[in-house]
Amino acid sequence: MKLLAKYNRVNLITTIVVMLITGIIYYQAISWILTSQNDKDLVVEEQEVFDYVKLNNHLPQTFESDDQQITFTSAPMGSVKREFINTIYFKKLDSDKPQKHRHKHEDEYEAGRGLISSVVVGDKYYKIQIVESKVETEDLIRLIFIITICVIALLLITLVFTNRLILNRLWRPFYNIMKELKLFNIADVQDIPSVETTTDEFRELNNAVVDMAGKAKYDYNTLKTFTENASHELLTPIAVINSKLDTLIQTENFSQQQSKLLNDLYGAVSRLNRLNQSLLLLVKIENRLLHEQQPINLKDLAEEMIGQFEEIFQDKDIQLSYTLEDKEITASRYLVEIMLSNLITNAIRHNYRGGSINIILTDYSLIIQNTGESMALQPEKIFTRFHKSSKSEGSGLGLTICHQICESYNYTLTYSFWNSHHTFTIAF
Amino acid sequence: MKILIIEDEEGLRESIEEYFTEAGNICETAANYQVGLSKVNLYRYDCILLDITMPDGSGMNILKNIKENNYPDGVLIISAKNSLDDRLDGLNLGADDYLVKPFHLSELKARVTAIIRRKTFGGSNQLLFNEIAIDLLSKEVKVGKQPVKLTRKEYALLLYFLANKGKVVSKNAIAEHLWGDGIDMANNFDFIYSHIKNVRKKLMEAGCGDYIQAAYGMGYKFTDQ
Repeated sequence: MKLLAKYNRVNLITTIVVMLITGIIYYQAISWILTSQNDKDLVVEEQEVFDYVKLNNHLPQTFESDDQQITFTSAPMGSVKREFINTIYFKKLDSDKPQKHRHKHEDEYEAGRGLISSVVVGDKYYKIQIVESKVETEDLIRLIFIITICVIALLLITLVFTNRLILNRLWRPFYNIMKELKLFNIADVQDIPSVETTTDEFRELNNAVVDMAGKAKYDYNTLKTFTENASHELLTPIAVINSKLDTLIQTENFSQQQSKLLNDLYGAVSRLNRLNQSLLLLVKIENRLLHEQQPINLKDLAEEMIGQFEEIFQDKDIQLSYTLEDKEITASRYLVEIMLSNLITNAIRHNYRGGSINIILTDYSLIIQNTGESMALQPEKIFTRFHKSSKSEGSGLGLTICHQICESYNYTLTYSFWNSHHTFTIAF
Repeated sequence: MKILIIEDEEGLRESIEEYFTEAGNICETAANYQVGLSKVNLYRYDCILLDITMPDGSGMNILKNIKENNYPDGVLIISAKNSLDDRLDGLNLGADDYLVKPFHLSELKARVTAIIRRKTFGGSNQLLFNEIAIDLLSKEVKVGKQPVKLTRKEYALLLYFLANKGKVVSKNAIAEHLWGDGIDMANNFDFIYSHIKNVRKKLMEAGCGDYIQAAYGMGYKFTDQ
């Protein structure tokens, strides 16, 4: 859930709850004020009756007004307790009289407020019931209520909008920092730019992010430099071993065991050498040190590579079929050669005698398929460093190198296993 | 031929010296920049093997010195730096070839032989070994008067053997020479065997002696002894 949505939700709920509570209190207060106003009217009316009775010593004539009814009923002495009541006001429709509520054509009951009192006229005891219609009061309350609701709604809407506006603006530096973080690439030369903000928290966050990225980059570079230097330093001893071996085999008379040992040594040294070269190459690709680019006709290059491997195809009895279309790319010839060579070497190495290899070059992709083990490889692992099958004699870096080369030219290298063919696809 | 090896790494220097020392060759060595520079200015060599990174100076300066003084010596740079820039720098300064460490001594020998051949004979010569005659320009091989049809790789292989005649050349070295070091086929060098078998068969069918000997399963030796 977005921060804004979360914030709005909490905000809205509390606002609505608070508004509802205040609304109820407001309603109660208004209706109490209006009822006491009614009661005052009723007391005035009662007083008028008392005055009339005192003056004339008989009951006033009952009359009916728009919103007041008085009834007198005789009652046993002292049986009436003076009280205010909520009652029903029965309204008769009077067709001659102009009505306030014209749409009401029938007699109707309305909410009313009544005062029960008593009066003594001579020796007679009467119960007075004065009832006043509360319809005006209720109309008033309704109006007030509607206005309040409108105000609340307006308030809520403005709140939501201002919140959105303010939050979006307030949080913009945060989103900017997030964007930079997402774009962060440890191998990139560029640093994370600092985001302009006046908010202390974001400035702190930004500083922390910039510091962290800088440190990560520094560590990464140190590690990379170490790899490079270590590989470089290894070159000389490997060169010495190699040359000593070359010298050693010039001496005569080796037993079968000795020559086997020497052969194994040669193999190990050449593997060590290739491993070292691969590591150096990876560092170079990652450092973008091989930036010299030139237009390359991929068809010609592929044909050349295929020619290079011709004897090996024959030796392993591998059927090669290829369809190559013209395709020109701009890249480092050295790297593209390495990539093709690695992929073809893999296709040969992981093949079986009498297997087949298909190479398809189109305008948008280069596909290299080979038969081999009937199990699919793990696509998420094969491009990682030093991942290789137990039987493989390679360095475990070949596909990593291919992947890095593709990445540096924005090609995508994918693996799929289809119809018992291991397929590597480079999409340009 | 007369060769100067300027290389600070003792082990490597000794191996190269030993490999190149044979009848008719004079090998001199220089263990550092200063000695190298003074030897270059005192004597003339057919080929100078020049290391670039030395503790007391860059081999590039020696190369510059050779070119400024118009010495005709062939120069082959041996360097641990395998970047195109370094390679181009070296070649632009007038080096004849550039070999990256680590390398096989047989590869070094083949390169040095090629440089000296170009220097001495102007690049248009017949290479002779007993009854084998190779026209380096037209890349034609003859045994006696009989032409031998070799594929490009077989031709390269024969030249490689001739440059290293009398030496045991390892299978690794042959594979890397013919297929490049990117070949990465590890210990599977069966395809070299069939290749060598073909060359030997073609040569012998044309009436050539059997000069290619297998050496203890490690490599091959081209020799008439």
